[in-house]
Order: sequence, then structure tokens, then C-alpha cells
Amino acid sequence: MPLLEVKDLKTSFYTRDGVVRAVDGVSFSLDKGETLGIVGESGSGKSVTCYSLMRLIPEPPGRIDGGTAMFDGRDLLTMGQRELRKIRGKRISMIFQDPMTSLNPYLRISTQLTEALRLHYDIDKKAAVNKAIAALEEVGIPEAAKRVHNYPHEFSGGMRQRVMIAMALITEPDLLIADEPTTALDVTVQAQIMDIIKKRQEDLGTAVILITHDLGVVAGTCDKVNVMYGGRMMESGTAEQVFYNAQHPYTRSLQKTIPSLQTKGEQLYTIPGLPPDVSKPIHGCAFYPRCPYPKTGLPEGNRPDLVELNDGHCYADCRFCDSSAPIESVLSTDVPEETEAAGAAE
Amino acid sequence: MSDQNEAVHHEADVPVDPRRDFLVLDDVHTHFDLGTSFLTRESKGVVKAVDGVTLTVKEGEILGLVGESGCGKSTLSRTIMQLIRPTSGRIFLEGKELSALSDKDIRHERINFQMIFQDPYASLNPRMTVLDTLAEAIRTRHPNVKGAGMRERVADLLRTVGMNPNQMKRYPHEFSGGQRQRVAIARALAPEPKLIIADEPVSALDVSIQSQILNLLKRLTREMGLTMIFISHDLSVVRYIADRIAVMYLGRILELGEASEVVDHPLHIYTRALMSAIPAPDPRTERTRSRIVLQGDPPSPLNPPQGCNFWPRSPVTHDERMKHEEPVLTELRPGHFAANCPFCLNGA
Repeated sequence: MPLLEVKDLKTSFYTRDGVVRAVDGVSFSLDKGETLGIVGESGSGKSVTCYSLMRLIPEPPGRIDGGTAMFDGRDLLTMGQRELRKIRGKRISMIFQDPMTSLNPYLRISTQLTEALRLHYDIDKKAAVNKAIAALEEVGIPEAAKRVHNYPHEFSGGMRQRVMIAMALITEPDLLIADEPTTALDVTVQAQIMDIIKKRQEDLGTAVILITHDLGVVAGTCDKVNVMYGGRMMESGTAEQVFYNAQHPYTRSLQKTIPSLQTKGEQLYTIPGLPPDVSKPIHGCAFYPRCPYPKTGLPEGNRPDLVELNDGHCYADCRFCDSSAPIESVLSTDVPEETEAAGAAE
Repeated sequence: MSDQNEAVHHEADVPVDPRRDFLVLDDVHTHFDLGTSFLTRESKGVVKAVDGVTLTVKEGEILGLVGESGCGKSTLSRTIMQLIRPTSGRIFLEGKELSALSDKDIRHERINFQMIFQDPYASLNPRMTVLDTLAEAIRTRHPNVKGAGMRERVADLLRTVGMNPNQMKRYPHEFSGGQRQRVAIARALAPEPKLIIADEPVSALDVSIQSQILNLLKRLTREMGLTMIFISHDLSVVRYIADRIAVMYLGRILELGEASEVVDHPLHIYTRALMSAIPAPDPRTERTRSRIVLQGDPPSPLNPPQGCNFWPRSPVTHDERMKHEEPVLTELRPGHFAANCPFCLNGA
């Protein structure tokens, strides 16, 4: 039995301007010790997916409309608050994107680190502080015994993110959710932080969900990858399947846009247009308006079904574009589509 | 040894005649004095954000400026803009010494050099329409343009940056991040500048939008004959857009050369570490390759280490001699300069 099995998760925000379907039918499963990467642009629903699992969606306006998330045999989405509090911070913990704002500036690091321990375990203060010092040493903070009593502002960005990791892992959780843990950091520090997460994961056998927009970070750390777009899953599979045998036009386009893969001197490959507005209903394939392949029909009615190619490699089988054709050259323009159309009308 | 290097360094890097080159920085220092403590009367120290930068930028080129946060790349750009005055050193733009101009004169001069900021959510006035924002910028060069003529110019600008001219009556909040950055670019172009300084213009944008903006910036510099300083912490982005790359560390330039030279044959260990920290979007290479992992965080420019300022983080050696010899930017290959610390160049 997988550690976490999410089926058809749907989360919407009911706002005055309409219903925003932030997550629209997301499924995945995760075994003990595995790492799952969720990749997508801003607004693709990757963060909302994880906030839904932690039940951190503000209600109202948000609401989890459907689906199940079985964690160790129990459904996280329907569980009572009391039961949930026993799991949150103990068996599932989370690292947030911005280490500058996710620590309480008024409290010493020691207080913040030991809070989860004191809540979930019967442990006295001194033992908890000792454990906190050990946890800080594990993530490579020098002079941990001294620095544990410092305030967050006395640490640099990279150090604060280390503190966040130490805090998330101090209860030795089964599942760690990391929401863009390195986006706010320098590349050199990013490499250090990813190494620490990997090492601690090996030590503790923790499963990790890594949310990121950086395909490079995913390639180095993840066993499985989910590609999300417009609140939906576009493609999922092992890292090898998704990187070397990408099926969905969006995954392929995303890979092509990475500057480091491009030959110097040529124009960068761009995906024309803008990400979809999820506050309006999307017919058919969410990526259709930006798809680089020759269009063979208008998308109507239902979304493309997820089709399993082989051995767990799934992709949304879009039938509106001819993905067997070579990617149409979009290099001639860097103008968003709507502008182009309007310009022609003038 | 150091005399000889000094000679090479001066011959090749410092122009004899600052009037000949487009933009010249001559030993620029920008320091921030933290003042003295009220109680002890002791100095709280000096932050040496830019600490001796000598650089020339040729007309029509894109110079990429790379470094980690805190390395002084933003302070350097603000010093060139004269938003912060240098503590010492001189800056010439087309032979005119910017650092010697009065505050009043610099305001007039600034129409020739404009800036694009990182966060398009913060750099546009939310209470001004796109038309107002761009018109204000156009009036700095053409004070007498009004009415229909102005709207025509704004429409032209919007078309140049790939936006629809009938969006000019909209406010910034009605646009996405990528479109706002296009407006910010249009505003920078409005006074018809010769030099544009782009400070991390794509790091706040999504990957698929990033490449649109990069293509736009590259096309505009070529078509309009602009010169650009492109600041970023991401070498993979800079590699694509820049003709030459300067790598900054703790207020100094560690390496400088043609973009392909610096990326494919980096001389300084810091540049190599920066390169190796960029994750490759390929699971097999990513799992097998070896990395140069730097120790710790970038040190504070408040008390920068003596000598080769990279020694506390060097993954190779902590030789005592590094602390005593001040490295000099030296031309080690044709057109390719690096700080000549023998321990950091090891293995290059």
C-alpha cells in the first residue's frame, strides 16, 4: 500500500468574480522514501494541491470539492480537526518557499524548533532543546548549541532555510512537503539545501513531495514527476519517462524553453501566449491555445483523458493537435497571440 | 610577479583614453559607512559593496553581470546610474564623466541611460495608466509632444515591446507579470536611451514567460543599437543573452571575458562552482556528475576577507598565502581576464 494516494483531488475558490478551479482532478501516489516532483508555472495549482493535503486552504473562499487523499489508510480530506492535528507537523510536515517570512521574528529559534516536539511527544524542555541542537547540526549550522537561542533575523537566507528544514524534520515525519524550498535562494546555496534534503531523506526514510518550477532541480532529486498546467495533470511518470520520453506538448515545450539547453546565438524557444485563466471554464485541453503543434480540431466538451502509456507513465491524451508532427516554428515571433491577432485587425 | 601583472592588467583593461570607449568604469568603489556607535564612539564599520571595479563596455554590446546576492551587482548598477554616488573612482559615458556631474545635470543626462528593475509588480506606479507612465517618460526627451502625437508615440512603443496599443488606457494590475515587464521595458526605451541596465529582469517571471522577455531584450538591443548591462544570478540565462560576462564576488570582478569563453572554459574556481551549481534538466547527467560545492554563504561585505576574498569558501585549499596576496584581474587568455590568485586558478 502506498504511503499517500491522492485520487481526483479538486479544490476551488468561490470568489465574487466566479469559481476559480485551482486544482481540477489531480491523482498521484507516493511510496515510503520516494520523492515526487510537482512541476508547473505559477497558477498551475501545484501549491494548492499540497495546501489541500495539509488542509491549509482558507475556507471560505476555498473548498475541497472532491477526491480522496489516503495517508496510511485514512483520508486526510475528511478527517476531523483533532485527528488532523495529530498528523500535521508530526507525520507530515512542510517547508515553505520564503524562509524570510515563514519563521516568527519574535521567537527564538529554540522555541520554534521545539514547539512541535513538545506538542507531539511527552518530552521535557531540556531534552527538546538538545534534540533541536542535534537537528541544527544535522543541517550543517555551525555552533548549533549557541545559535539555537538566536532570533531568525540573526541568520542569513540560506541558514533560515536550513532552520526550516531542521524544524520540519525534527519529528521525523513520514512525509515532507517542500514548496519551492530553494526559489528564494542563490544557486550555490540551492545546491547545498537540496543536498541536505536528500541526505536527511536517506537517513530518515522520509517521502518527499517537491514543488518547483525548475526542471533542473527535479531532474537531480525526484523519482517521479507530475507536470501540472491550469490546475490539471498533463503528464506523470518516473523522472526518466518524463524527461526522455515526454508525450504531452506542454512537457515538451517546457523542456525546450530551458535556456541552458539552447544553442548560443539562436533565439530562445518560447511558448507563445499566457497561462490560462482558471477562473473561466476551460473546454478540452487547457494547453490548446498555446500548443505549438498543428491544430487538427477545435477543443470542445470534456478534457482529454489521462492515458497510461506504459508502466505508470500517464499523459493527457490531447486529440486536438497533431503531436506526431514536428513542433511548429514559433521563433519568428515573441508577441503574445492575442496581441498579434489584434495587430492584424488594425 | 605582481608588477608584471599590474602592467598587463593596465595595458589591456584600463583604456588610455576614457573618451574613446562607450562606458568606462575606472577603479570604482562604493562604500557605505555605518557611522559610529553612540556609546563607544567606535566605528561600526564600512560595507564595501563595490570595491574597485574597472570595466569598459563597448557600444552595442550586452554585458552580463553575474553573482550571488550580496556580491554588489545591484549596487554597481545603481552607481553607474548615479542613483548612488561612488565613494571613489570615475565613470564615463561616451567621454562624459558622470561621476563629476552635479545632481541637477545628472537628471538631464539620465535620459541617455535607463534602468529595468526586477519586480514589475513594484516598479510600475499602480495609479498611473500605461499611457501616463509612458508619456511621462517620453516627455523627458520630447517635452512638447502632446495629445494625439503622444498617443501615437505610446502606441509605437507598445508595438515595439509586443503589446497591443489599445491596452494603453489600462492600469498595471490588469496585466500579468510578463506584460508588466514589457511595459517596464517600454518605459525604459521611451527616453530613447543609449544604455540600458536591466537588473534581474526575468527572475520574477515564469519559465515560459522568461524566454519571451529574453528574446525581446535581445532583439531590441540589436535593432535599436542599444548597449545593455544585464544583471542576473543565473549563468544559464546570462550565457544566452550576453556577449561578454563579468563575474562578481564581494564587490570585485573575478572573471571577465567573452560569454562562450567564460562558460565553456572558466578560469576561476568560483565561476566553475557557479556553473556546476546550475542543475541540469537531465536526470542521468544530474545523478552521475560531480559538483563543486561551495562552503557556506557568501561572506559579508562588512568585513571582507583579506587577500583573495574567496578563500573562506574555496573548495580546493585554504592555503595561508591566499590571505596575504591581493589578486589582480589579469588577461590570461586573449580577451579573457581572471583574478590571478594561483590557488583559485588551480586546475584551469
